[in-house]
Amino acid sequence: MNTALAREELERILDQAVQDVTECTAGVRLHQGSQSPGEDLCTVQITFDRGFRTSLTLCADTGLLCRMASNSFHEESVSPEDLEEFSKEYFNVLCGRIAGAMFQATQVPAHFSPPVFYRGRYEPEGSEVQFMLTYSDENCGGAQFIHHVPCFDEDDTVSGNE
Amino acid sequence: MSKRVMVVDDSRLVRVQLGDVLEGTDYEIAAYCRSGEDAIAQYDEVKPDLVTMDIIMQGMDGLDASEIILKQHPEARIVMVSSLAYDDTFERAKAIGAKGFVDKPFHREQLLKVFEEALC
Repeated sequence: MNTALAREELERILDQAVQDVTECTAGVRLHQGSQSPGEDLCTVQITFDRGFRTSLTLCADTGLLCRMASNSFHEESVSPEDLEEFSKEYFNVLCGRIAGAMFQATQVPAHFSPPVFYRGRYEPEGSEVQFMLTYSDENCGGAQFIHHVPCFDEDDTVSGNE
Repeated sequence: MSKRVMVVDDSRLVRVQLGDVLEGTDYEIAAYCRSGEDAIAQYDEVKPDLVTMDIIMQGMDGLDASEIILKQHPEARIVMVSSLAYDDTFERAKAIGAKGFVDKPFHREQLLKVFEEALC
């Protein structure tokens, strides 16, 4: 996101936000691990359009997102519309928390696009993975939180911040 | 007697979470509004003791809506609730006359403390 920030520090900020926001909004504890999501998954993604030139993507087992939505909305069954609504709202809060923490660390105010939801895996075009944090919950639902940066081009010698 | 809260937020997640946090407290949710325009329209009828106001919403944002409500009702007590706030946002909210600021996602104790301070 910002080349002035060490990657380890950026990972720490993102990890802290993922764990705090997920537990606070959905009552689910995520632990970093190596378990990738399975075949039935959803993706939610935002792109920073001011402050940073990156995007953040959460790719998670549908079952995990359904459990989170069910906890948050107090609904036993979660419709596809509920799942999309929850995923976008949760990710919006999560990315807001991250942007706030980044502002504290860098004094760069950022703005990001509304979250977009996809069934299945989605990879933003023209970008590459800078790093990925992998999580699972106690029910073995997997999730990957992915930090994408724009691919190198001739006008851009620094990927990450504006 | 319960204090009546008007919640202005386009997020279902936040509306549910606020309902959970305020359950069993001296606060009751008197109305939900999904936009700044809706809040302005409903304020007179609801006459809440406190308003929680999201900042980034479809249509009119929470800062503009708060400014209008406070011009019409200088006694209104508005707490901004947002996931994305920078120093200039805090400054503008304070200049408008907002009584407090809470980050999303919020914790019960933090929210109740800000409510209490806003109503002093």
